[in-house]
Amino acid sequence: MVSNAFLWLIALPLGSSPIIYLAGRLTRKQPRLKLAQWVSVLSLLAAWWPFIALARAGQQSGGFSLTFGAVDLRFDGLGMLLAGVALMLATLVAVFSGPYLTGEEGEEKYFALLNTMTGAMIGLGCAADLFNLWVWFETMAIASYMLVAFHRNQPGALEAGMKYLVQSAAGSVLILLGISLVILQTGSVNLAVIRSAAVSLPGSPALLAAGALFITGFGVKAALVPLHTWLPDAHSQAPSGISAMLSGVVIEAGLIALLRAIGALAPTTASWGYLLLGIGALNMLVGNLLALRQTQVKRMLAFSSLSHVGYMLLGLGIGFAFHVEDGFTGGFFHLLNHGMLKGLAFLASGALLYTLYISRQQYCPLMISDLAGAARRYPVAAFTLSIALLGLGGLPPLSGFMSKWQIFVAGFRTENTWVIALVIFAALNSVLSLAYYAPLVNTLYRQEPSQAVQQGKPMPFLMNVPLLLLALGSVVLGIWPSLAGWITGPAGAVLMTLVVR
Amino acid sequence: MTFSAANVVAVGVLGLLGVGFYGLLATRNLIKVVVALQILVKSAILGLILAGYLRGQVVLGASLAITVIVADTIVAVIGLALAVQVRRKFGTLDLRSLSTLRR
Repeated sequence: MVSNAFLWLIALPLGSSPIIYLAGRLTRKQPRLKLAQWVSVLSLLAAWWPFIALARAGQQSGGFSLTFGAVDLRFDGLGMLLAGVALMLATLVAVFSGPYLTGEEGEEKYFALLNTMTGAMIGLGCAADLFNLWVWFETMAIASYMLVAFHRNQPGALEAGMKYLVQSAAGSVLILLGISLVILQTGSVNLAVIRSAAVSLPGSPALLAAGALFITGFGVKAALVPLHTWLPDAHSQAPSGISAMLSGVVIEAGLIALLRAIGALAPTTASWGYLLLGIGALNMLVGNLLALRQTQVKRMLAFSSLSHVGYMLLGLGIGFAFHVEDGFTGGFFHLLNHGMLKGLAFLASGALLYTLYISRQQYCPLMISDLAGAARRYPVAAFTLSIALLGLGGLPPLSGFMSKWQIFVAGFRTENTWVIALVIFAALNSVLSLAYYAPLVNTLYRQEPSQAVQQGKPMPFLMNVPLLLLALGSVVLGIWPSLAGWITGPAGAVLMTLVVR
Repeated sequence: MTFSAANVVAVGVLGLLGVGFYGLLATRNLIKVVVALQILVKSAILGLILAGYLRGQVVLGASLAITVIVADTIVAVIGLALAVQVRRKFGTLDLRSLSTLRR
């Protein structure tokens, strides 16, 4: 029963993808039907049933395994977290993208790839061996290359897609070399076997090198700072729904793959945690400073993703280095919130981009100045975008504040001077980030509308639904943060058992 | 260092890695970039086979290598498809023309 549910959870999004493509091709003459979109939305909604069944059953037993031949999957806390965030965003993005892609060629490919990417991410969260992890990771990456370059007649999208493909592919080669080193040292790719072998090999040079290769390889996808250069281009040039997916779950999926691999190697050395803390500090600073000087809305949001990965790394690094469980749960809570808030921010700015430009067949970037006075004509999009921005900036009644707070509290609990200094640095960064979020909110509510707003078309009704749901979720989690405990707690516990010997 | 098969392959892994990264950094032509990526992946495939062989896990190494070949072909196909589109839109395959997006 439970293993059936597990199978369905992965099979529904992946298996529906060719059906979506066929449905879209067959009804190409009737674009108003939007059959591809609705098959995609329904299959993603259907995948919620096995997810809820597994999440309920998992509360008692702590994880399920599923094995087909050499493919070894395990639904535990980490898998549940990633599956939950991926399903939530993918469902809403599928609803949103229907109106967004009106009149666009190749809709059926978009939805088919969206479902493939979601299924691959669910599989990635549940991978129990290193090679499996790589295969799911690569499947997700391949789907996302094509989605980034979806507007294949736009030079910018082609450039971003090419950059993304080359950097990611080079990163995945490094992961494979890391896997070779692990096989050489332990003779297995199973994460549990690797971990028990690592306990007896503290400081083994091959495993240290493998860990470094994993951090570099998965770090390209997770946008760790010196490896982030593909991110602003890909996130700003992709269709807005895909920007939301990329920023809300794909970089987090890279992070979770990184944690799985490093978690198995955790007994080798305690330095992984310090390394994550260092990279986290760099991510926060560089992300914020680069976001400050952006004039395009989507590029600014893309750079702010870098700093949010930094906050997550701060929490996770505290967990790895000092074995504070709150660090892990705080980091994962921030991952969930970033998925919701950044997803919301990209969808809301995408809705405005659609009404101001794309619906008039113009493909130009949405500038911050274009949004002046948008609140009058587009109250829902402007209001939800403001909630997302203020939540990302960490204003108290919103969920972004709660997760940052949890990470900071975990930092103080280590009673280590350097970590406390780092927490203060993170808090200052959070204040710095308001310097680019607040002016955008101010622009939205200005009196005189910009020329773009005056010429804008009305917003399709269906676009409002995902925006309002995400904004509601963020407010509710901000007021009752303990509601997220059922999904972040088990994920933190999984990593805790890996790092404590 | 003895002249054994494993050592020769190990040198091959490092050599291909070096050639691949050099190619990625030095070349300005998109097709050549895709070729350089292929060379890089070949180094990883050899590495997997070598690691499996040295640990007596030949089947594991070989099955991983075959999976990588499949995945890497798809990446190459997408890379070349993008290159075709770039040639159509920009009229050139030169990488330097592909930097219109601001920092």
